[in-house]
Amino acid sequence: MVRRAGRKGGVEMSSSGRGSLRADLERIFRANYPRVVAVAARVLGSRDEAEDVAQEVFLSFARSAVPTGEAAGWLSVAAAHTALNHLRSGRRRATREEAAGKTAEVCPDVADTVVTLDERRRVRAALARLPRRQAVALVLRHSGLSYAEVAAALDMSTGSVGTTVRRAESALRKELNRHASSD
Amino acid sequence: MRHPTDGTLRRLLDEPAGVADTDREHIAACPVCQCELAAAQQDAAFADAALGGVPTIDVDAEMAWSRLSDAIAVDEPRRATTVAPVRRWRTALRRPAVAGLGVAVLVAGAGVAAAMDWLPIFRTEQITPVTAPEADLVTLPDLSDFGELEVSEEVDIRPVSGVDAAEEATGLAVPMVSELPRGVTGDPTYHVGEEANALFTFSAEKTEQTAAAAGETLPPAPPELDGSRFRLTAGPGVAAVWSEGRPVPALIVARAVAPTAYSSGVPFETARDYLLSLPIVPENVASQLRGFSGDGTTLPLFMAAEELTSSATEVDGMPATVFTSRDGALAGVVWVDDGVVTAVAGSVSADEVLSVAHGLRWDR
Repeated sequence: MVRRAGRKGGVEMSSSGRGSLRADLERIFRANYPRVVAVAARVLGSRDEAEDVAQEVFLSFARSAVPTGEAAGWLSVAAAHTALNHLRSGRRRATREEAAGKTAEVCPDVADTVVTLDERRRVRAALARLPRRQAVALVLRHSGLSYAEVAAALDMSTGSVGTTVRRAESALRKELNRHASSD
Repeated sequence: MRHPTDGTLRRLLDEPAGVADTDREHIAACPVCQCELAAAQQDAAFADAALGGVPTIDVDAEMAWSRLSDAIAVDEPRRATTVAPVRRWRTALRRPAVAGLGVAVLVAGAGVAAAMDWLPIFRTEQITPVTAPEADLVTLPDLSDFGELEVSEEVDIRPVSGVDAAEEATGLAVPMVSELPRGVTGDPTYHVGEEANALFTFSAEKTEQTAAAAGETLPPAPPELDGSRFRLTAGPGVAAVWSEGRPVPALIVARAVAPTAYSSGVPFETARDYLLSLPIVPENVASQLRGFSGDGTTLPLFMAAEELTSSATEVDGMPATVFTSRDGALAGVVWVDDGVVTAVAGSVSADEVLSVAHGLRWDR
């Protein structure tokens, strides 16, 4: 059974008698899935993990009443947040996997693989240490969102997007250089 | 004229059209700004290199869509079974512990939730003690002072027959104690609680009334905060209690799924910053909460300075907090691993609770 239910923003919801789902889900999924994966991949440095995060994000979105017009921004922010949350919870598991030599990529040069994994580990650790708002703004900007889109998604002024991104980039570089020199 | 902000310089790199002509002209002619611009460019290029390198262009949206459809189909019946309100512990959940905890979770969870529907904004991953005089902790407002707190699934703690029943009821592994402290004897009794859920709707009017009652005038609430909703969940949890022959338990080993908060759309910092700015939150408590990292993963553990002292330690490689009552009658240790809080406490010494914590076994 499919019925219409009025929710804020005029989102159509279909219901199977239990939970309700959005009628526009499939269309929005197809239009936004690649970008959601791309945002999560920038945080996680792993495509497999990014696709897992994208599933989580769209599951939440499926039950939400986010207006269709705001879906793209919502999904990008949710992808960044969920991926940053994964950084923290998955950190120890990732360390164990790396220690066991499990790598997702097939790489001809073992030394390159080790260097890449180590760099990714450092980037992930540095992102996890940034203030959350800075980290999200940084990831969204580097995923190709415009200043206006980042501003709308994070509910900040367009003017402060540049400042936030600038601070995040500076902090990221300092973090990575600090750890590179102390290793 | 003044130099444009570093944010303006940064935007010039990405969106020159978004920068005012006067700023562009200034930057072009100003050696200081040119230098800043070069630094911004280097940092931006560095960040781009650090965050890039994972090709995602050829993602298989078709396969992902069928995976999502399957997940939704599986998830729906499971969600439907969790709506079972129990009235008994309503009062207990309302005041003061859980409602106070709600404030704590809200003000500590600083993740930004600029979304229109529920988005996780707080997930307990560590616990940090917040120590203040008892008088200050007693005056900490609870959530119902700031709006409407609606408890949809309440705490319902009940005894179960044994460890198997406890694990079955909660889905949590119950650890075995390798060696009981001296003086603690017998077998434990097991108690379980289901997941608790509460919905909190912020009300500017209610907050004003609370402040007026405290003789304070408040800064106006940000307009988007009024009517915004937060969902709080905690549990399920399980406790093994050794109380043989004593009025107060000799030892408790407890585990619970740690509190999580979700926001319905207000940028979370708005709520936190406003609550912490209120003159009715004691400043020494507010300043400790402000010091928490901004990622919304630290749960404050409120302690009365007159009664308890705390120190940091490690259990199983996880950061843990040890607390001891000043009269030496009570000690405990608490830590978070993967979103689950574990606590060992009792009328024993700090060394003894630590020894129990280090000796917990997860196999049977």
